[in-house]
Amino acid sequence: MSHQSQTPRSQTLRALLPGDVGAGSGGDVQTGGVQKAALAEIDASCRVPVLFFFLSGLGWLIAGSLLAIVASIKLHSPGFLGAWEWLGFANVRTAHLNTVIYGFASQVSVGVSLWLMCRLCRIPLPAPGLVTVANLFYNLGVTVGVVGILRGDSTAIEWLEMPRYATPILFVSYALIAVWTIVTFRLRAERHLYVSQWYLLAAVLWFPWLYGTAQVMLLLEPVRGVVQAAVNWWFAHNVLGLWFTPIGLASIYYFIPKVIGRPIHSYYLSVLGFWSLALFYNWNGMHHLVGGPLPAWMITISIVASVMMLIPVITVAINHHFTMLGHFGKMRQSPTLRFIVFGAVSYTLASLQGVASALRSVSEVTHFTHHTIAHAHLGMYAFFTMVMFGAMYYILPRITQREWPSNGLISLHFWGVALGIVLYVVPMSLMGFLQGTKLNDPTIRFLDVVQFTLPWLKLRTVAGLLLVVGHVAFVGNVAWLLVRMFEPYRKPVVRILTGEAETLAAGK
Amino acid sequence: MPVISFILLGSVVLLPAVALWALRWATAAGQFRCPDKAALLPFDESEPVGVETDLILGGNRR
Repeated sequence: MSHQSQTPRSQTLRALLPGDVGAGSGGDVQTGGVQKAALAEIDASCRVPVLFFFLSGLGWLIAGSLLAIVASIKLHSPGFLGAWEWLGFANVRTAHLNTVIYGFASQVSVGVSLWLMCRLCRIPLPAPGLVTVANLFYNLGVTVGVVGILRGDSTAIEWLEMPRYATPILFVSYALIAVWTIVTFRLRAERHLYVSQWYLLAAVLWFPWLYGTAQVMLLLEPVRGVVQAAVNWWFAHNVLGLWFTPIGLASIYYFIPKVIGRPIHSYYLSVLGFWSLALFYNWNGMHHLVGGPLPAWMITISIVASVMMLIPVITVAINHHFTMLGHFGKMRQSPTLRFIVFGAVSYTLASLQGVASALRSVSEVTHFTHHTIAHAHLGMYAFFTMVMFGAMYYILPRITQREWPSNGLISLHFWGVALGIVLYVVPMSLMGFLQGTKLNDPTIRFLDVVQFTLPWLKLRTVAGLLLVVGHVAFVGNVAWLLVRMFEPYRKPVVRILTGEAETLAAGK
Repeated sequence: MPVISFILLGSVVLLPAVALWALRWATAAGQFRCPDKAALLPFDESEPVGVETDLILGGNRR
């Protein structure tokens, strides 16, 4: 790419970088006239925008968690908060989904992506103020959308429930962020691409394509009949697989080697995993419509593609396992590793469960049951959210130049969310399977099936409360960390930045 | 519905074309030529291979 950086357009873009870096003056290694920046300089350039994305994301996480608890309680106690119609189950459940997907997960994803891209491109974030402004508009869009849902303006299209008046704000803000990620990539000082960059670039290009196409085909110029369902599930499934999954995997591929100080086991396998995901995932969504009135070939292709997903899943699992081999004990010492490895294992499990659920014989039992909800949480929470927590544990001390204030809150966070999500996914998966079996038995009354689910749904509320405890612990630790930003630096309780931890770990 | 036709055409033609272009560019640029070098990209002079960077909890105090 060095020849590209000689063009006038690249020179214009390079002017956005801080003076020494953009001018390519001095430095140890240069590519195309751009000097590699020091890690501390990169972290400092990301401070404001990444903090904005993380903090606003965490705010939406707390809001989304509370909405989830209300929705969960309403499933077994329908009269709960019954006096407020805007807190009806349909509104609350939909608002929960949209706050955690667009408010929390997407914003934290963008923050992590920007930081990773700068680190791997070896340049400071160009014009960080622009990204911060995009973040403010993005939050405005989410706020308008969630308030609209609670007012009853939902579109009733799964994963696209935000009203039409909110989505243009989101789309434009997101497009600006995506363009800026690509600009950062174009300005890179490191010629070679790491596998994480493949995943990040693909994700920032895939998401606007998915979101824009679904918006047009379902809201602006809606297609008719069952094609709506086909487009809806193509979009909803791909948001998970082509937006969140690549960013989660990009993070895993970066943070595991960084924490344990060891390169990934096989770079070839990682590239094979990326290209096979790119090839097969896009076809998977129709397996949600098994038994629906769609052409059989569409669903069959989707089932075949779902099974083909075993290739990227197994390559990723092998790569992560062999990279970690001999280093699992370090999970006791590193919060990042603890969350990331939990997420990586969950990715394998969620994918295998997804492959099984795509098969016609399994789908006939599990479809329309709580098994699907458990699967969604295994993917979105146990895999993706845990990886994002791990990434934030690594990034926040480096961009704030402050250490985590409390070990206890880190442990409370991990054990709260780990136990919570296990208590959520395992019983709900089992209950969903039993529920489906009963629903398919014509001798069992529907009301009996509903009553069978009640104790399990109460257990789900308990699991949700454990997740909330973990979230509050994390937000408390982050708030404490931010307070320390305004205090004079002092010897920390936990030590990342001083290097003492590494020295002690090495037994020196 | 011209907008939908445009989007479908874009999805069917443009995206695979972009993917193929990316693959061709990566091959021509030698991105797959030195996997050992690419695997070292998360590391640098200040945090080289062998340096653990996040061991902060109880285990390291023993």
